[in-house]
Amino acid sequence: MTTKSQSRIAVPAVSGKARFRLSPFTVISLALVALWLIVAAFPFLWTFWGSFKVQSDFFSKVDWQNAIYGVNTIKETGSPFTLAGYYGAWVDEAFWRNVINSGIVVFFTVIISLTIGTLGGYALARSGRRYAFWLLMAALAFRAMPHITLVSGYMLPFFEWNIWGILPTTIIVLVAINQPFTLWMLHSFFLNIPKDMDESAMVDGCTRFQAFRHVIIPVMWPGVITTGLFSFLLAYNDFAVTAMLLSSENETIIPAINSFLGTTQVEGKVMYAVAAVVSATAPLFVLILLFQRQIVSGLTAGAVKG
Amino acid sequence: MAEVTLKNVGKRWGSFVGVDNFDLTIADKEFLVLLGPSGCGKTTTMRMIAGLENASEGDILIGGKRVNDMEPKDRDVAMVFQSYALYPNMTVYDNIRFPLKVRGVDSSTHDEKVRRASAMVELDDFLHRKPSELSGGQRQRVALARAIVREPNVFLMDEPLSNLDAKLRVSTRAQIKNLSHELAVTTIYVTHDQIEAMTLADRVVVMKNGVVQQIGSPTEIYDNPVNIFVASFIGSPAMNLIDGHVQDGTFRASHVEIPGLSVPDGPLTLGFRAEDSGIAAPGQGQINAPIYTLELLGDATMISVRVGGVLVSVKADKNFRAEIDDMVSISVPQEICHLFDGQTGVRIEGGSPAFHGPDSRCSSPV
Repeated sequence: MTTKSQSRIAVPAVSGKARFRLSPFTVISLALVALWLIVAAFPFLWTFWGSFKVQSDFFSKVDWQNAIYGVNTIKETGSPFTLAGYYGAWVDEAFWRNVINSGIVVFFTVIISLTIGTLGGYALARSGRRYAFWLLMAALAFRAMPHITLVSGYMLPFFEWNIWGILPTTIIVLVAINQPFTLWMLHSFFLNIPKDMDESAMVDGCTRFQAFRHVIIPVMWPGVITTGLFSFLLAYNDFAVTAMLLSSENETIIPAINSFLGTTQVEGKVMYAVAAVVSATAPLFVLILLFQRQIVSGLTAGAVKG
Repeated sequence: MAEVTLKNVGKRWGSFVGVDNFDLTIADKEFLVLLGPSGCGKTTTMRMIAGLENASEGDILIGGKRVNDMEPKDRDVAMVFQSYALYPNMTVYDNIRFPLKVRGVDSSTHDEKVRRASAMVELDDFLHRKPSELSGGQRQRVALARAIVREPNVFLMDEPLSNLDAKLRVSTRAQIKNLSHELAVTTIYVTHDQIEAMTLADRVVVMKNGVVQQIGSPTEIYDNPVNIFVASFIGSPAMNLIDGHVQDGTFRASHVEIPGLSVPDGPLTLGFRAEDSGIAAPGQGQINAPIYTLELLGDATMISVRVGGVLVSVKADKNFRAEIDDMVSISVPQEICHLFDGQTGVRIEGGSPAFHGPDSRCSSPV
């Protein structure tokens, strides 16, 4: 798997360099790429830069260039860069607690989704029964629903049973939302693994479950990692569910950022939000860089068979 | 070491019959080949023995024990898959070792067993490689080694040579034959290739549409095919079959006249093998027809003529030369003829005497 994708990436890069010519076509395509990069990356870079300024600079009504030079930041703090936003968010507003909450929610959502998804996806991929198809169709239908439909339906029972506002409830709802997707994705990964492998393992002396564990799962790692990543992103980025189902002390990162923004009357809070946004985005970049190969191979594998 | 018994075993999916009433005892250490065209139920039969498919009816016994309700792992069989089904994440060594590991065989003996199995299939130099770094023939040998490492009661091989190129197929076939002699384990081998069946088998089972056509040694099946299907499936080239009529003991079709048959008058299918017949002096043979094509095979010359609406092949001496459309006379004496009922296709005694072994069983396709 690894060697295959390595060579697939390496070969075009080398030959591209060797054949490089500056034709009008390449100029246009390079310009388009550059334009796209600016449009896509600018908000992130702008936010990152601005997170080290004070609000009167970053949201200046007088001159937008204040955000670049930090006139008011120098006036207020004596230096063009300040960590005031980060300090306020992490220390004053205890943003670290939201990070821990997010960590818990994301971790359990991913683990539970993957456990059910691999077992269920394997069973559906190997079952010759007709209802396997209809189960997958039902999963697709649930997948297509807006997340908020599930949440509003859950609200009343959760209040009645007094389980509203706590993390486990949110984890369960996130798993419910995420499960159809993981099931589909892993199902198509399992379909790519020939049935002969399980059967061979079973003749060699495995039970069905041992065949799954010793033979199928080792081959499935790229699929499991990709699916896990997508589950991670869903749980990490979710707003609809976490905002409505969590009490303020149990809030995860995204609703916490939202509540920083919601209190614009008090000066300085918006900068907390900006600093928190940067803090929340950074780990995503690291994650994508670390797992980019799995994501790419996983995406194509899913696309061909999905 | 085990005897495998199939008692009236059948497999159906809804109304579709995959295997019908399969009844056979495979002796200990016997090499049995299941032969037939694709979709004839041969692989299904093997998978039922392995436990990968449930039998719809009948009993399967291995070593005298009924195994119908046993998991594949408890049947003590080893199987070589058509696709080899190697574990891509493991090295060759670990692939071969896998059955020992999952069965909890004493781990101090693993290394010795793996090395003995790999030596038998000449894989010693590749033990550290991954399956993706091997050629097709080497992968096939890994699959073989993985099957023999555990010394099972029964070997099952599902078309193990079909993914190899022609040359490698011949050498691997020889290797399998030698291995089976050395190991002396009951082996069931599925193939659609009649040459593999002829060269490897102690006994051959010919199947068609889920129904057993004939069971016998390769010689019996070659010499005394019980019906037209078996006759046309075994042998290379296939047996010549000519539709015609018998009157007063003489078989007639266009360009064909073979006297001396002791069968009643009526329609008849007459068969003979290319290698049994030969070229006769002009006008002296039983078939007189213009040559349709002529192929030089090196060891012989194959002549085809069009008679009775079909192409008939005859093996002539390697020095025989003629032009297309030249008249040729072919000798087909009554002794080399196989006679089949014109309607049912079942063999009729009256040509050369048919042989029936103790286990032979004829069932005609209706």
